[in-house]
Amino acid sequence: MSVNEGRRRTLAGLAAGAAATAPLARVAEAFLPGAPPGPKSAPSRPVVAIGRRPALVTATGAIDAKVLEAALGAVVARAVGEPTPVAAFRRLFKPTDVVGIKVGCLGGRGVSTRPEVALQLAAFLQAAGVPADRIYVWDRTDRELRAAGYAIAGGPGVRVFGTNENYDEHLVEWGPSASRFDRVLATELTALVSCCPLKDHGLAGASLTMKNWYGAIHNPNKLHDDNCAPFVPHLVACPAIHDKLRLNVVDGSVAQCHGGPGRAPRWAWPYGGFLASTDPVAVDAVGWQVLEARRKEVGLPPLAAEGREPRYLAGAARLGLGVADPARIQRVEA
Amino acid sequence: MSGRREFVGRLAASCAGCALAGARAAGEGGLDPTPARWFRTLPDGWVECGVCPRVCRISEDERGTCGTRENRKGRLYTLVHSRPCSLAIDPVEKKPFFHVLPGATALSLATAGCNLDCKCCQNWEIAQARPEQVPSTTLTPADVVMMAKRKGAPLVACTYTEPVVFSEYVLDIAVAGRAVGVRTVMVSNGYVQEQPLAELCREIAAYKVDLKGFDPVFFKQHTGGELKYVLDTLRRLRKHGTWTEIVALIIPTQNDSEAEIRALARFVRDEVGPETPLHFTRFHPYYRLQNLPSTPVATLERCRNAAMAEGLRFVYLGNVPGHPGENTCCPGCGKVLIRRYGMAMAENRLKGGACPDCHRTIPGLWT
Repeated sequence: MSVNEGRRRTLAGLAAGAAATAPLARVAEAFLPGAPPGPKSAPSRPVVAIGRRPALVTATGAIDAKVLEAALGAVVARAVGEPTPVAAFRRLFKPTDVVGIKVGCLGGRGVSTRPEVALQLAAFLQAAGVPADRIYVWDRTDRELRAAGYAIAGGPGVRVFGTNENYDEHLVEWGPSASRFDRVLATELTALVSCCPLKDHGLAGASLTMKNWYGAIHNPNKLHDDNCAPFVPHLVACPAIHDKLRLNVVDGSVAQCHGGPGRAPRWAWPYGGFLASTDPVAVDAVGWQVLEARRKEVGLPPLAAEGREPRYLAGAARLGLGVADPARIQRVEA
Repeated sequence: MSGRREFVGRLAASCAGCALAGARAAGEGGLDPTPARWFRTLPDGWVECGVCPRVCRISEDERGTCGTRENRKGRLYTLVHSRPCSLAIDPVEKKPFFHVLPGATALSLATAGCNLDCKCCQNWEIAQARPEQVPSTTLTPADVVMMAKRKGAPLVACTYTEPVVFSEYVLDIAVAGRAVGVRTVMVSNGYVQEQPLAELCREIAAYKVDLKGFDPVFFKQHTGGELKYVLDTLRRLRKHGTWTEIVALIIPTQNDSEAEIRALARFVRDEVGPETPLHFTRFHPYYRLQNLPSTPVATLERCRNAAMAEGLRFVYLGNVPGHPGENTCCPGCGKVLIRRYGMAMAENRLKGGACPDCHRTIPGLWT
């Protein structure tokens, strides 16, 4: 069996499993009351769902597939306000969508979006009616994807690929800069999922679902002045991203509270869970809190003391991209 | 500047017959790293680049603002050494150098990358790109010098993008060229740290600085950089005794006020020298500044008059072919010494670096 064939079978199995998994239905019983957030609904009190499972990462560092499916499914369902993950994905995505799952693989194995997580999201999408051929998992380069454990796949089925410098020829001016966007993002995708690791960033403070979009443009190196604060919000506000962004997931199976964006095993820990929201600002704000809590546990100073608290969150809130104020964010367990 | 646009247009054609005939875009892992010369290591595998005032702190596998310098396992590497993406034979007047070997040609080259982000960048397709995003070829410093010799060019000009980001390559070209009588010049934004500048000045023949404005706020908004570092570079060039010319691109309503131009001219007069050539060049809408018109010639003339009134002796107009402001005139007797049209020298009356009529010495690299 080829790698691709194996993956297709796995995905098919995952999809079937996701649709039929009974325990996920129980999520509905605990669903938080209140208006369910939907894409672009701009709720005044957005929901960020947090799902942690001690058994998510095994002693060998592998992901337990069943725990992953349950945890990720629960967190997305809670974030969207639906009883099951499939219902949540159905609410956010249409079968006619072409869905891009943007992963973050700069850090290689250990501090990148785990392939199992991205492919589980793809499985949920399929279970919700999006054909596998219309689901893309992508990042900057094949090289970085491979280094993070992904197998490049050109289809049929879910495609996994790097931009590999295939940027759209049109220069898009946005906020304080201008960029060429990944060609697939610019021309094919109709819906987006940002799925990033939970990690520190030495300049931005935290690299989460919003900064993940640096990996979709040709000139991220130009966008790191002033803790990235002038750039991240305006990039996410670009129509190519903002108008398509439906779901934001932070993969905290293993997280890193210092030394990022590259891998620094000394500062990594098995957070063993996920964050999800339809509000990219809110989920990043909660991710920041998680990192700060861990930093305190291990004796590191707050990011502000190092002059690198993620100021881009406040800028994003000012732009109306979401809610950065923790007091206005509904943190719900899943 | 329109000349620069023409260059980009002609590059494809010239590439076919020149060294870029075998150009290719570097694919995955296709960039050959060369150890960077100016950096320091930091804890946790980070490095701090020391080539330009940005002093980028770079984590492993990441790059600095210029996109050409990468941290690999706690060491900094340049990805553009010996990897030019643009190559052409140009008249030296096109750089512009008006006081360096008039009428000579310069083998002109660039690699990808720049440490600023100017809103009217003429060559943004290569300057605002990372090296793997543009076709390039392999050309060692020795190859560059030999090519210049074959083409009859006494100069190698490091230009088009920002040579500061490929300073190691510039330095090696300059050293290789010196041995065979080929001189190296830089056409730069002047955004460079003191140490690399000092090392470059020991080897290169001339340095042209683009002074993109004299108001710090405008400079920051327009380029993303800090004006003070460029002014420091100009002061240091004088200290090093490196032949320096300055270009000020005049953008209508942005950096063309009388007060700003006079302040700029006084700075040049007092801190670089009143005999430093200053070129006011005409802006044309490009890249991210397409909402402004081309600079009126009258504005350029006003700038020139103001600078001369402040005591500068060699003030030129650029991108206005046929204008008398292209010519070099003797500050002593006022006679035309070097007549130019566009990028070409039409007549050179200098005798031994002096006016043939009043014998006033004219500063420059004439032989």
